[in-house]
Amino acid sequence: MSEAGTVLTVDAIVGGYSTAEQILKGTSLRVERGEIVTIIGPNGAGKSTLLKAVAGLLTLSAGSITLNGRDVSRENALGRARHGMSFVPQERNVFGPLTVAENLSISAFLHPARAKRKADEMYARYPFLAARRRSQARTLSGGQRQILAMAMGLMTEPSLLLLDEPTAGLSPKAADELFEAVIALNADGLPILMVEQHAVEALEISTRGYVLVAGRNSAEGNGPALASDPDIRRLFLGG
Amino acid sequence: MLAEIAQALANGLLSGALIAVPAIGFTTIFAVLRFPDFAVASYATVGAFAGWWVNVRLGMGVVPILIAAFIVAGLVGLVAEHIALRPLRGYGALTVAIGSIALNLVLENLIRFIFGNDLHGYDLPLEQDLNVGPIRVGPQQIQNLGLAAAVLVLVFLFLRYSRFGRAMRAVADNADLSRLKGIDPGRIAGLAVLLGAGLAGVGGVLLGFDTSIDPLTGYRVVLAVFAAAVLGGLGSIPGAVAGALALGVAEELALLVVPATYRSAIGFAAILLMLTFRPRGLLGERSV
Repeated sequence: MSEAGTVLTVDAIVGGYSTAEQILKGTSLRVERGEIVTIIGPNGAGKSTLLKAVAGLLTLSAGSITLNGRDVSRENALGRARHGMSFVPQERNVFGPLTVAENLSISAFLHPARAKRKADEMYARYPFLAARRRSQARTLSGGQRQILAMAMGLMTEPSLLLLDEPTAGLSPKAADELFEAVIALNADGLPILMVEQHAVEALEISTRGYVLVAGRNSAEGNGPALASDPDIRRLFLGG
Repeated sequence: MLAEIAQALANGLLSGALIAVPAIGFTTIFAVLRFPDFAVASYATVGAFAGWWVNVRLGMGVVPILIAAFIVAGLVGLVAEHIALRPLRGYGALTVAIGSIALNLVLENLIRFIFGNDLHGYDLPLEQDLNVGPIRVGPQQIQNLGLAAAVLVLVFLFLRYSRFGRAMRAVADNADLSRLKGIDPGRIAGLAVLLGAGLAGVGGVLLGFDTSIDPLTGYRVVLAVFAAAVLGGLGSIPGAVAGALALGVAEELALLVVPATYRSAIGFAAILLMLTFRPRGLLGERSV
């Protein structure tokens, strides 16, 4: 695909939580328009670290990150959010003491003029949010909280959504509903980059996938093809 | 005895309401910046003197006094925090807290240098106490209660309905997530200091209305302010109000059985008991 179709390019990044311990050792990936891209790999491979590095929560020692043609390597999380990146962390991804409505409105902090319209869109897309709009976010169930976190990520009309293990801790039914929500968002044209513990299910709905091992790219390919690759299944997907 | 208890309850609620305003300032700064800012004592004194100056030198009334106190104390707090405390943030909350005690001493002596050590009184009309059944209250105390309540309502409305108030609550809950949502925690921290110091200044004025002011006006109440915030749950605004009222009532009820010289011990005892039996405070989790 042409460069004009590329939303995110991560080029040989090196980084970690301290300079003494580099978790990412030259990792690269890209996300094209309209894609769902999933990163899988064994525990400790650096999947969530990679997503945090893309979101601007880690300082890179080397490599570059380009978002919609703009080099954002030196931007922090705030700067990348301003340029259209929206990261939904795995944990503590909603403001517990704030109500559902407040969580949505605060997530459009950069675009207050469109906050109400976007919140109404979220209520239409996820009706339970409208029913619980006055409830504190910490009173929602795990699945509802993940949907709220994703809705908060959409409030800025991002050009790229990053999801860090969105189904972690959810029941199978809630996880299925969340995958359906991810598919629906992508069908509306939103590119998504995610790390997911339910790797088979995630790869099956992904355009492409990356396998990360010890902070380095190990394999890359079509999502469903990776999910059915015998070697990948044996090594990383539990058979 | 019942009449004495009723009088003590009324006195406690009235004095607690005065402590509630600076206690909210203290807890707001704690919620966002995560350190106990003991310089609120000097912010209260700065506000009290700014209000006194507007009242006595310019002849203005209650509302301009409160506005001047909020603005001057808030700006002094913002500048002082920027110069003296922000550079210490990297060294941990304890270091910043100790720095705030030093900052308090500097500001207190600066006020002493400008205004002297003498007591200063606001130019307000003296009115006779009112008798409500067995309870005697001064009209000024009732006005103070009303003003404190109005300030609390304004703070509540700001935090609940304004964009920056919500951002402040969001940063207090989770600064990292706030950053991901495009909120700059550094700017919000500045806003929290402005609001917290400003409220301490308003509290200083209310204390001055009740008695008189001098360079130690804030210092005298800082223990009660701290105790109220700890009682209610550090970082919780409803908690600070509940803590201040509880402390005020506890102090006044205790005075029925112990000499007045032990009054300040009530604050220490309240902190000790709360930290021993319910460290989260009356209202639990932070909920600015």
